[in-house]
Amino acid sequence: METDWSKVIEVFSSGIIGVFLVMILLQLLTQLSTRIIDFVENWNKSETTEPAPKK
Amino acid sequence: MFNILKELIYSSGAVSLSGGNLVMWLVSFVLLYLAIKKQYEPLLLLPIAFGILVVNLPLTFLMEPEHGLIWFFYHYGIEMDIIPPLIFLGLGAMIDFGPLIANPKTLLLGAGAQAGLYVTFFAAILFGFDLQEAGSIAIIGGADGPTTIYLTSKLAPHLLGATAVSAYAYMALVPIIQPPMMKLLTTEHERKIVMSKLRPVSRLQKVCFPIVTAMTIMLVVPPAAPLISMLMLGNLFKESGVVERLTNASANELMNVVTIFLGLSIGATMTATTFLNPKVLFIFFLGLFAFIVSTGAGLLMAKFMNLFLKDKINPLIGAAGVSAVPMAARCVHKVGSEANRRNYLLMHAMGPNVAGVIGTVVAAAILLKNLG
Repeated sequence: METDWSKVIEVFSSGIIGVFLVMILLQLLTQLSTRIIDFVENWNKSETTEPAPKK
Repeated sequence: MFNILKELIYSSGAVSLSGGNLVMWLVSFVLLYLAIKKQYEPLLLLPIAFGILVVNLPLTFLMEPEHGLIWFFYHYGIEMDIIPPLIFLGLGAMIDFGPLIANPKTLLLGAGAQAGLYVTFFAAILFGFDLQEAGSIAIIGGADGPTTIYLTSKLAPHLLGATAVSAYAYMALVPIIQPPMMKLLTTEHERKIVMSKLRPVSRLQKVCFPIVTAMTIMLVVPPAAPLISMLMLGNLFKESGVVERLTNASANELMNVVTIFLGLSIGATMTATTFLNPKVLFIFFLGLFAFIVSTGAGLLMAKFMNLFLKDKINPLIGAAGVSAVPMAARCVHKVGSEANRRNYLLMHAMGPNVAGVIGTVVAAAILLKNLG
């Protein structure tokens, strides 16, 4: 059976590029969501912390 | 009396035995030995080996379509894509994505290791396999059994036994296959790099991760949905902390039950006629090649990232980008601590290791999209 080399190249290149794109997107979204959560959690902490009593 | 005895002999399976059956018994005994004596992936190899043995006993018809007992397990479990996603549910309930969330750039190492998979795809084509078969063989490099089974059952079901056994065998052989490659592609100085401690990850971050990941991957690569949805659901069970019974059921009871059916069904696909041909030898060779190249690609990706990073990573953790969880991470830790006794790489390697699971699913989904 004749190999369809154009299909082979397409699978090869779209595969490598596709995996990297998805993982980069996931990395960016993970970083973004963790930063937002960090910010919200720190803000909540500072809200709930009692101010130090004045002497 | 003589006639009864004669009839009994002629109706027994013994007279229908072929040379191929005997060879498959031998394969089964070797796998049983590896599982029981050497304890190489015994949870999978033991039922696989027994499946090979019983399906190669003539006239049992265990894999007879619409009639055989194991055929029903195979048909409903694997052909209808039930078992691999259920394994992923259990896996998700056991995995801790904390190290990955603490250091998200390790996701790139999980992607880097998949490059080996596509190199093997190319190599398999050169060896004369067709596109679908080459895709099924290449995924072995991801070192992820359920994903290999899932993809092969869709693209080249006739290769299922060989690719599954190959994937699980190489996963068990991680401590033998990976260290030489790690030492070959890294210098002593690089192996000694001590990485800074991972930052703590809050519960909310761990709860959000499976939701964000499931949505992202399923929106971009829909064919990944069956595996990634179950993986992330299992992880959400675990991290939510409110469904302990479901977490335990997924990680223990369900996982154990489906493992039995998975192993037995895979073993039962390995009849003498399907397994004893030269192609299978090539599959084992290409599977090993895929695993080695994927390990190398992960290591090189880590070295490449170090060119741009201020806080250098130990390139050994790139080798954990293949998804053999947690064997690859343990192996990285061992090689790292041999170079520097103060080096504790296990948690750092768990990041790329779980990223590898995600990366392999994405790679499989893209192969399925292009070849299915």
